[in-house]
Amino acid sequence: MKARIVHRDDVLKIVDLLRRQGYEVVAPFFGRGRDTRFDNVTDENRDQIQIHLPNPYHPPKRFVMLQIERLLRIERNDGLIQIEPTYREPKRAIFGIRSCDIAGIWHLDRFFLGREFRDIYYEKRRKNLFLVNVVCSDPERDIGSECFCVCADTGPAARDHFDLQLMDLHDGEFMVVAGSPAGEAMFADPIFRKGADAHVAKRRAVLETARKSFKPSTTSWFSAAIRYVSAGKVAEKTWEEIGNRCLECGGCTYVCPACTCFTVSDRSVGPNEVERVRMWDACALGGFTRMAGGHNPRKAVHDRRNRRFFRKLSHYFIQRELSMACVGCGRCAAVCHGDVGMPSVVEMIRREAAEMETHEPAQR
Amino acid sequence: MNPPSAENVYMPKIAVLDRVVDEITEVKTFYWHFDDPAEQAAFKKFRPGQFAQVSLFGTGEFPASLPPSPTEAETFFTIRTVGSCTAALHTLKPGDKFGIRGPYGNGFSMEDYYGKNLVFVAGGIGLIPLRSCIIYALAHRDKYKKIQIYYGAKSPKDLMYLQNLREWEKGAGVEFNLTVDRADAGWKGHVGVVGSLFKKPGVQVPVENTVAFVCGPPVMFRFVIKDLQALGFQDSQIVSTLERYMKCGVGKCGHCCIGVAYVCVDGPVFTYEQIQKLGEDI
Repeated sequence: MKARIVHRDDVLKIVDLLRRQGYEVVAPFFGRGRDTRFDNVTDENRDQIQIHLPNPYHPPKRFVMLQIERLLRIERNDGLIQIEPTYREPKRAIFGIRSCDIAGIWHLDRFFLGREFRDIYYEKRRKNLFLVNVVCSDPERDIGSECFCVCADTGPAARDHFDLQLMDLHDGEFMVVAGSPAGEAMFADPIFRKGADAHVAKRRAVLETARKSFKPSTTSWFSAAIRYVSAGKVAEKTWEEIGNRCLECGGCTYVCPACTCFTVSDRSVGPNEVERVRMWDACALGGFTRMAGGHNPRKAVHDRRNRRFFRKLSHYFIQRELSMACVGCGRCAAVCHGDVGMPSVVEMIRREAAEMETHEPAQR
Repeated sequence: MNPPSAENVYMPKIAVLDRVVDEITEVKTFYWHFDDPAEQAAFKKFRPGQFAQVSLFGTGEFPASLPPSPTEAETFFTIRTVGSCTAALHTLKPGDKFGIRGPYGNGFSMEDYYGKNLVFVAGGIGLIPLRSCIIYALAHRDKYKKIQIYYGAKSPKDLMYLQNLREWEKGAGVEFNLTVDRADAGWKGHVGVVGSLFKKPGVQVPVENTVAFVCGPPVMFRFVIKDLQALGFQDSQIVSTLERYMKCGVGKCGHCCIGVAYVCVDGPVFTYEQIQKLGEDI
């Protein structure tokens, strides 16, 4: 991978370059209060783009996997049925996407484009996507108290799957790494200067400081939780405890950059016209597995919680997609009212399973 | 620029309804063909046990078993009206158009069972997916050893595929046993749950070198598994097909996932041994 140096004052010129190339650029902004969000860049708001800010709760996943998306437009005329697929595939760049969310999009790539069936809607949009990753390097502004990318092995600096990666060297300069030919092509612009060995050393030092800035959390037990879940060693009562705390709001799935489930629905849009749309769905919700006629194989809340964490933590699925459906962004922990986000669940699983392991031999 | 529709896995193909036949209360058989003969030919390569996504435009899509065998000329679904989509299908008249995607799923590996005895155990509308295997096996009669069918319904008026039942009863290379839970005045046959047929005088269920196909309501399924195990069947000798709420049929929407398996792509056919290893109750 090639790298260049950009002066702090020139960083947003990358956004300008992309816009000039015809990209619709989305970037992070401050909202009201302490809220942050990704929004479309316009001439008016361009100067308000933030490089350092808490990662928005609403992940940029929605730009590749639309929250509501029309799949087909169906027209009926005199017994004739005409079905037209509708594709939304804008040339889009996400500026300021964090490393955890880069891993999230990589997971979606593995899921929607891997295996026997490819999702053409996702594929078309993904092909036109340009990703400018910003490394979380400011302990105060970038790294939240719920972040655990260091445990999920996705950050603070993504290793690949971006087009450009920016890292603030905190001395008035940014190091820019190209992760794709499209990214490298950007280096033709004079804002990108060649670096020196000192820049590489600086990058290493900044990254080292960033890594140490994560709060010491329980998530260092991630691997243990994967082992226990994969081996089916998590006791039913642990799932029940987790289920008891779940308020079934579905929030964790909606803010998750790696959740993929959707539902499909037809709606009427004219006298002879219907459209088939798909929208995000959540396994936390009671109706997720309810069949016509009312039979629901997964009735209890803890069955559904079990489902979500099994899907994300079991070795089987990690191997199936060759990527993990948890990227360590910490959003589920931040939004969960019952404190059963990933870090807490990992800790509960680890604690209970470890206890069982300790006691098992004595009981025999 | 739109790509050829073959690449879009969510794109239904237009089918025309030919005729509708009443089976039992709320259950009808819908004969159909694709508008495009090339589609029809491609679809006819399906395997017994696979399923299709049926589209009622404006209402939605639902997964449906394929009761015909690929060895038969006609294509059809047998559907009970349970929800909004199945109800919409039931209102269609011959000549009406609807959508179909598929076939999907793994299906039964009928070729792997060459040289084996086949025991089919069906309860109620569980006969729908098994009908495909039975017709297929009878069409390849010389490939299999004994073929036995055990079919149970609630009452005589809940018996489906009467024409097939009559053919099987005549016993051309097949041992056919029928039962109902509750007899009516005209019923002269066996009365009892389907598992009770295994103990009927004269019935001998082969266990060695046998595959048992089991399909029916959850309660029936549980008891038949116990009965088969008591006869000496290993869990790997018992195959079934699972049903789940599904939206896509291609392993993306996530609704049908049971433990480690996506029922739509990894199933719907599983051995009982596999079912127990899924990591979640069925």
